Amino acid sequence: MFSASGGALLGQIKAMGVSGRGFTPEELAENAVDRIISISATSDPVIRQQAEAFREHIRAVLVSYGHQCIRSHGTTLTNRFRDAGHPELTKLLEN
Amino acid sequence: MPISVTTAMPTSFKVEILKAVHNFTASTGNTFKLALMVATASGSGTYGAATTSYDTLVSNTDELANGNGYTTGGNTLTSVTPVADGTTAVCDFDNTTWSAATFTTCGGIIYNDTAAGDPACAVLSFGGDQQVSSGDFQIQFPAAAAATAIIRIA
Repeated sequence: MFSASGGALLGQIKAMGVSGRGFTPEELAENAVDRIISISATSDPVIRQQAEAFREHIRAVLVSYGHQCIRSHGTTLTNRFRDAGHPELTKLLEN
Repeated sequence: MPISVTTAMPTSFKVEILKAVHNFTASTGNTFKLALMVATASGSGTYGAATTSYDTLVSNTDELANGNGYTTGGNTLTSVTPVADGTTAVCDFDNTTWSAATFTTCGGIIYNDTAAGDPACAVLSFGGDQQVSSGDFQIQFPAAAAATAIIRIA
């Protein structure tokens, strides 16, 4: 007799919306790290602890680079505004 | 009657997998899209395991209208070529975002835009209405692992 377990399964998505702005580096990093690292609830506690520490490290790196991206893109936009003859618009990019 | 949506893998999709209707291979495979539904109270259809096609969403006029950051038909998903994780085959998509959007949605349908009849691959409930106003709306797919991937065959 043959027997097998399994089947076609569907995972869970997360829907996230923000109003009046775009996503912050922190929000995107949280989403990204969920995609990068998946920690099983049944994994060995020591392994789990290491994985969670690694997850936090990755999250911090992503946040840092996210902020760098924003600053870098601000520089690009500043130059585009100046090149287009609208230097006054660069003030909108200041924090 | 308001929209009723239950997260489910359509039964028709399971049959279509065995008939080689869908090709999730990145770049050279089929084009998959994620279409969004209107707010719960604004629609009327029932969506779940019995849903067979994106066309149902259209015929029920339960898809978000064009404009305000949404294009009818939905966002094209970037597929990641299926791989094995242990003994489980997993399929994955990159997260997708609607930018500068203003709408309220209660769920979505992932469908194959290449295959005839736009067959549904997944029905997604957002657990209630999700509202965004002049902002970004993102669907985050789970990690592509045996226990979590959006579509997997164990």
